[in-house]
Amino acid sequence: MRTHDQSVRGWSFVTPALLWTLAFFVVPFLVMGAMSLATLEGRTLIWGLSLANYAEIAEKAYIWRAFFVSLEITLIVTVVSILLAYPLAWIIAFRVPPKWQRLALLLAVLPFWTSYVVRSYAWLLVLAREGAINQAMLGLGLISEPLTLANTRFATVTGFVHFFVMLLTLTIYANLIQLSPNYRRAAMDLGASAFQTFRHVILPLTLPGVVTGAFLTFVLCIGDYVTPQILGGNSELTVPQVIMVQLGRRADFPLASALAIALMAIVTLAYLASARWLRLDRL
Amino acid sequence: MTRAVSWIYLAIAFAFIYLPVGTLVLFSFQGSTLPVPPFDGPSARWYAEVLSDDGLVDALSNSLLVAAGSSILAVGLGFFAAYGLARHVLPGSVAIRGLLIAPLTVSYLIIGLGLLIVLTRVGLGLSLLTVAIGHVVINLPLAFAIIYASMGAQQKNAETAARDLGAGEMQVIWLVTVPMVFPAIAAAFFLSLTFSWDEFIIAFLLSRFDVTLPVEIWSLLRSGLSPRLNAIGSLVFLVSVAIVLLLEFLVFRKRRA
Amino acid sequence: MTAPVSIIKLNHRFGDFHALKDIELDIDAGEYITLLGPSGCGKTTLLSVLGGFIEPSEGRVSIGGRDMTRVAPAKRPTTTMFQDYALFPHMNLRDNVSFGLRMAGVERRARYARAEAMLDLVGLAGSAQKRPHELSGGQRQRVALARALAVEPDVLLLDEPLGALDLKLRRAMQDELKAIQRQVGTTFVHVTHDQEEAMAIADRIVVMNAGRIEDEGTPARIYRQPASLFSADFMGEMNHIPASVTPEGIDTPLGRLAVTSGFSGACVACIRPEAIDLNDGPIALGTARVKDAAFFGTYVRAHVIPDAAPDLILVANLPPGEVPAPGQDLVLSAREEAFHIFPTGD
Repeated sequence: MRTHDQSVRGWSFVTPALLWTLAFFVVPFLVMGAMSLATLEGRTLIWGLSLANYAEIAEKAYIWRAFFVSLEITLIVTVVSILLAYPLAWIIAFRVPPKWQRLALLLAVLPFWTSYVVRSYAWLLVLAREGAINQAMLGLGLISEPLTLANTRFATVTGFVHFFVMLLTLTIYANLIQLSPNYRRAAMDLGASAFQTFRHVILPLTLPGVVTGAFLTFVLCIGDYVTPQILGGNSELTVPQVIMVQLGRRADFPLASALAIALMAIVTLAYLASARWLRLDRL
Repeated sequence: MTRAVSWIYLAIAFAFIYLPVGTLVLFSFQGSTLPVPPFDGPSARWYAEVLSDDGLVDALSNSLLVAAGSSILAVGLGFFAAYGLARHVLPGSVAIRGLLIAPLTVSYLIIGLGLLIVLTRVGLGLSLLTVAIGHVVINLPLAFAIIYASMGAQQKNAETAARDLGAGEMQVIWLVTVPMVFPAIAAAFFLSLTFSWDEFIIAFLLSRFDVTLPVEIWSLLRSGLSPRLNAIGSLVFLVSVAIVLLLEFLVFRKRRA
Repeated sequence: MTAPVSIIKLNHRFGDFHALKDIELDIDAGEYITLLGPSGCGKTTLLSVLGGFIEPSEGRVSIGGRDMTRVAPAKRPTTTMFQDYALFPHMNLRDNVSFGLRMAGVERRARYARAEAMLDLVGLAGSAQKRPHELSGGQRQRVALARALAVEPDVLLLDEPLGALDLKLRRAMQDELKAIQRQVGTTFVHVTHDQEEAMAIADRIVVMNAGRIEDEGTPARIYRQPASLFSADFMGEMNHIPASVTPEGIDTPLGRLAVTSGFSGACVACIRPEAIDLNDGPIALGTARVKDAAFFGTYVRAHVIPDAAPDLILVANLPPGEVPAPGQDLVLSAREEAFHIFPTGD
């Protein structure tokens, strides 16, 4: 009888959060799914079970190209960010004196707290034809004509990498710090050099954390609208940009929904691929 | 030798990380109307303009309102859900936990789109309320996860002792549980504040006339580069940094004590 | 392989804190030494210095006749067995044990063979493919030992290796450690806070307190003739009887006892509970009333209050006969050798 009471009480605590999630996350998701199967005739919405929107995704060049662009950019950003963030996290965890580690970490991620919109915009200041880099290089006589750095894939990738290096430094650092210092001591005691210690002991042990960080980067990057829009210009469109175009110009909710579902499918595939190492609770 | 390499890498990394923000702050003091080099003698006129701009000030208070409101709700819902799941044996608790955490893996754009479709269909006009609803959706999983993770055996034992001494459920929660998991609650709250304060795409999709600060900045961006934007950006940065440092010292002091 | 260790004028400071004070110690090759002392006495710091994880502020460490003071752990002929074992969780036992050999460049077949041999030595033959998380605490400890010995160090350093084990397991492991050490002949330096463990295992015990070496010698000598009050108290129970030394003997609340001492003036006379005899002995301690008594199997432990000194409570370990009742009177005595005199304020 007590367990029954407990169950009832337990449910009453969980229910509000559950209801909220159902009402404002699950339901919209399902409706969006249904919407992706609807069609737009002129300005009238016709519900149904049509795959026309998905067909459009496969047929229209500017759409399926956007998927490739998103995937390419996201993969480049993920790999580059991890390669840059891991050494940074390592240096803070193992080279900086323990007293100063908190401060070093805080300083390394402080720009994280600039507004996301503002930070992408700030890269524009740096990369534009009249921006900081060009002015500096012109001034030093390294180039005679300003380089086109903004409104390119390079700018988008740079903006993304800047953000994700900070994020990944945090998560990888947290991982490194959790390792017992005796693992390193034991390895060195048994004759391993710093590199060997890293390769045989530290890297394998931090791999789950790295994979988790990579997955997080993947999800956030592929679904981001702001950075490609501000920094990439309209040279090539990513999927979020295409979605926003559908919403803005034609209020084409069915197509936008189909695109969103397709994006979710890709993220789910990425999840399944990395599920072996993934530990979301270790975030 | 590797030591030197480490410090060089650290220096380069920090230079890269601070490049955009540094440029931003530097050129917010730009004298002329161009937000880019050459630097034209320090001037605070853009800050003055920004602070007297009603649109921006409104957007700022809107942001704070939405952030505070949605964070309180997210943390409240998250706390009770965590308490319910951690303290009582419920069938399918693994599935429930999974469902509550699921929104973390979905792009904000998609969450916003879904809500846009449903809320407009339901007849709810777009406003700060709809933005707040969206923000609760993205912050609830985080609040729940953080608080749930901190509810361990120690708290459970203390609660059992309290019940044993005659405390009712609400008393146990208020007098024992909340104080004990307070660091997690505080962390969840401040994290929610940060995410909501900075969030763009959901706020963009789900608002119409009253907007939050990121959305207002975005509209200004549409009209081209200007030192005003630099000033706003620097202000937002400085305020956020101040909050973070404040939090750091409060939490830090608490740990020391 | 094995080597002698010499520690010369070793001092180490952590900021203002003087952790090791003028440590001088010579260890023979193949000896089993324990560093014994309470928490914070510096024994683990000393071990870290020997292992190369800490560079001492002053002094020298010499192993096998070569100065190793500033040599990194990887290059020293020592290996350490850590308190939490630090087995690599992502490797199986064979890869764990052969790790050091792999770092030394030994090719696969040879190092696997040696790993299997070491696992056999510690009683885990056939478990090579298992992972550390599948083992119990005692088994993990053996793997840590196998891993440390696989590289044939001259000196093996053990940091409270048996602390996490329960009593029975601990006793069994103490015997095994001793047997293995005899078999491989390596010099073992073993840190512990448990004096029974030290006595069970060590060829020589080094008693440390507050950064200094208080006493060192064989277990028997340290127990029977402790060099300082601290050492006396740490190695086992001691009765403290305030006394002052006179040319004729020592003056105590129990009367003048015929014990000679090199000190003069106020001192503390210490006597072990098992050294208090019943009835007639060379030095009479007078009568005493039993306060309480308990049966401990091999002896009866009694708290007694001497009639001559009712403020004093002595602990006496009596033969395991009948348990005396509270209030019963006993006649106590002792022999001269049983007394240890230390100046007050030692």
